[in-house]
Amino acid sequence: MSHVIPHDERHHDANSTDVFGFWLYILTDCILFGSLFATFLVLNHPGAYGPALKDFISLPYVLIGTFLLLASNFTFALALMAFYRRQKVLSQCFLLLTFGLGLGFVVMEVNEFYHLVHEGYGWFVSGAASAFYGLVATHGLHVSFGLLWIVIMMVQLSLFKDDVINEKRFIMLGIFWNFLDIVWIFVFTTVYLQGAL
Amino acid sequence: MTAHHQQTPDYGTGEKKLSVYLFGTVLCILLTLIPFYLVMKPVLTRSSTLILLYGFAIAQFFTQVLCFLRLNTKTPQAKMNSMSFLFTLVILFVVIGGSLWIMWNLNYRMM
Repeated sequence: MSHVIPHDERHHDANSTDVFGFWLYILTDCILFGSLFATFLVLNHPGAYGPALKDFISLPYVLIGTFLLLASNFTFALALMAFYRRQKVLSQCFLLLTFGLGLGFVVMEVNEFYHLVHEGYGWFVSGAASAFYGLVATHGLHVSFGLLWIVIMMVQLSLFKDDVINEKRFIMLGIFWNFLDIVWIFVFTTVYLQGAL
Repeated sequence: MTAHHQQTPDYGTGEKKLSVYLFGTVLCILLTLIPFYLVMKPVLTRSSTLILLYGFAIAQFFTQVLCFLRLNTKTPQAKMNSMSFLFTLVILFVVIGGSLWIMWNLNYRMM
């Protein structure tokens, strides 16, 4: 954190406010996910109408996806630390690794949905299934946008020389990416583990 | 750190340390593996497994918040972040807890 370009006080405040505003957006996103979780729990009560999710999911498969997301969080942290040491290329390499792990997660999820629909657990079979797709796919969509953002960040690191601006964007991306893993903790607990119990 | 705070904007996200990230990652791996094991190889009753599942989820939640998001109360901005975070937890409790409470009651009364 030692070689930051000096800048005036007004700029300083604006950057802090930007990140705080983004943090507030993330918190409102938590509330969005909270309502999706509540919907899921209500519609998936024991004895709900329609086929049980339990018969369609594979826990080892979910565990692999979980570890991909967790590993991508760690590689993101490495990218951020490389950025603070001003090793931009190394930082971009770690971002690429993060992107790969995140992409693996999304591909696994799309593949899972494809098989679920094929085997008779489409979003149209019951309210419980709709709630499942609503919750899990909203998370997946967030991850997909996170992937897009990681690509943009990699390009921006080469394009922009202003490290203060880059740092701000990096921190916001970090909050977003970590938030997705935090939501996933509750997705695998509520949807998959509780569902398979 | 204090000297640099004059230069770096205060984002309240804490210091970036490899040791903290490593510790957080290892802890998260453990807190993920144990609940999966409990469900895949059932050793406990259903209700106690369910309580443990949520116990591990909440433990991992706080591990990630503290080790990755680095939520703290060291700078004024960090305090703002933590307070808004706590406020969101209250809202989430009302939204999720309240919904489940109401729906459970409706279900109970209409049976």
